[in-house]
Amino acid sequence: MLVIKEEKINDFLEKLREKFEVLDITKDELPFKQYFLPANEQMFPVPKPPKKFVIFGLSEIDLEALIQLDEIMSKPKEDFYYWRRRKQTLVIGLEKDMKKLAKEYGEFLEEGNDTETKIFNWQQSMRQLLLDSELLADAVEWSHGHKIWDELAEKCLGCGICAYVCPLCYCFSLEDKVGLDDKCSRCRKWDACTLPNFSKIAGGHDFRPTIKERYYNWFYHKFVRAYREYGKSQCVGCERCKNQCPAKIDIQEVLKTILDDYGKFLQTPKS
Amino acid sequence: MENFYKPQKVKITKIEELSPTVKLFRLAPGFSFIPGQFFLLGKIGYGEAPFGALSSPYEKDYIEFAIRAAGTVTTFLHMRKSGDEIELRGPLGNGFPLDFIKGKDMVLVTGGSGIPPIAALVEYVMKNREKFGNVYLLYGAKTPEEMLLKDRMARWEKSEIKIITVVGLVTDLIKDIKINEQDACAVMCGPGPMTDAVEKIIRPLGISDRRIFVSLERKMQCGVGKCQHCATGDKYVCLDGPVFYYDQIDKNYD
Repeated sequence: MLVIKEEKINDFLEKLREKFEVLDITKDELPFKQYFLPANEQMFPVPKPPKKFVIFGLSEIDLEALIQLDEIMSKPKEDFYYWRRRKQTLVIGLEKDMKKLAKEYGEFLEEGNDTETKIFNWQQSMRQLLLDSELLADAVEWSHGHKIWDELAEKCLGCGICAYVCPLCYCFSLEDKVGLDDKCSRCRKWDACTLPNFSKIAGGHDFRPTIKERYYNWFYHKFVRAYREYGKSQCVGCERCKNQCPAKIDIQEVLKTILDDYGKFLQTPKS
Repeated sequence: MENFYKPQKVKITKIEELSPTVKLFRLAPGFSFIPGQFFLLGKIGYGEAPFGALSSPYEKDYIEFAIRAAGTVTTFLHMRKSGDEIELRGPLGNGFPLDFIKGKDMVLVTGGSGIPPIAALVEYVMKNREKFGNVYLLYGAKTPEEMLLKDRMARWEKSEIKIITVVGLVTDLIKDIKINEQDACAVMCGPGPMTDAVEKIIRPLGISDRRIFVSLERKMQCGVGKCQHCATGDKYVCLDGPVFYYDQIDKNYD
């Protein structure tokens, strides 16, 4: 394992830059998926193949998400546009917070300052929840009809930002364009299942017309459909959706409420 | 690496008006497919939309689709002329379980422009007529003009496919159906309210949910279970469907 001191990181990156294009993503707001599945990319006419590049600075959690996204984009067939970028990339992870790493691997550590601990605790307990993805799948499926979805439908603005910032949300739309020169192209761009018209068909029927159904579907995909498809939840606890949500919806609180009530339901004797 | 988003070019060799809003498109070359499978038709610059093939799966030289003008892609298709080139991807999806339904009595239920995949299945039955029992086609349309493929139905009738048509709801069609309910299956394709047909026709006939096959309509875009537009419950219509056992999808919230 190569250990680089913090002050030497820039020298290391400079060296890499001599040979490759290096993207330092440590300050990005959007997740790394944008480099493999861009927010808007031309599919046809097929653009020139991408150059080799290095992505520097994925956190440990993001690396986990990348492994999941690789799997998603390989089944049942390899996604041409994702993999032509992905195969040209060297990914370098970076965990700045040695305390966090140490704690993750079970070593004893003194508590840091308060804000740091708070952020850290959120991720820690989220990742605890994610350990049992089967339970999450059962609970979220059971929760259809739970009053929490009415409450969330009141809160959620349906802006779709949670899907855009999620490293494991990958839904997209194909969109065709005609330029002024009459040249036609087909593009794919990020979509979000919480946006209106996401599941509307020709003729006007919409299978999820209300925000309540669409927001539930977002959870359902992450914790139920994903579990049935790949055996794990499509969430790594990166906290981005919670931090960016304009309505301040906390995915962990939602899950905890559902799990609590599901637990009570299981313990209630059925007559 | 194969690029499965890449469409292939096909030529329109015939266009026929089936109703004021629906046209039949014959495309060449032909494709081998299973009845019930769908294709994405369109052209780069205009978009793609999913359609079930309606011609006989044994037809080697061409493939046919019946398309209602409803959105941008279908309007584009309606403006084409014979000889024009369009693009297509497919076949996609699973199709009807032909091995399972062989040897059985069958009740086919459809309405309006839901007839294409059923038509392809009937063509398959016609070719293998002795391997099937009594076959009934129940077909409902809003108006007489919107009843499609009348000439083909006349041909099917000659091969002992019993056809019952109605203007209005197919749910009014139950009398006169004679099947051995222990060894029969039902196939459905049509607009949303068609699920009423299960309650009012298929269950009263004694066919269990596991032997009811439904072809679902969703907005399939990628065709490989990635884009999420066609998800219903924990299934993808483009990948796991479009044909489902009724009990696989009847409890889905969407």
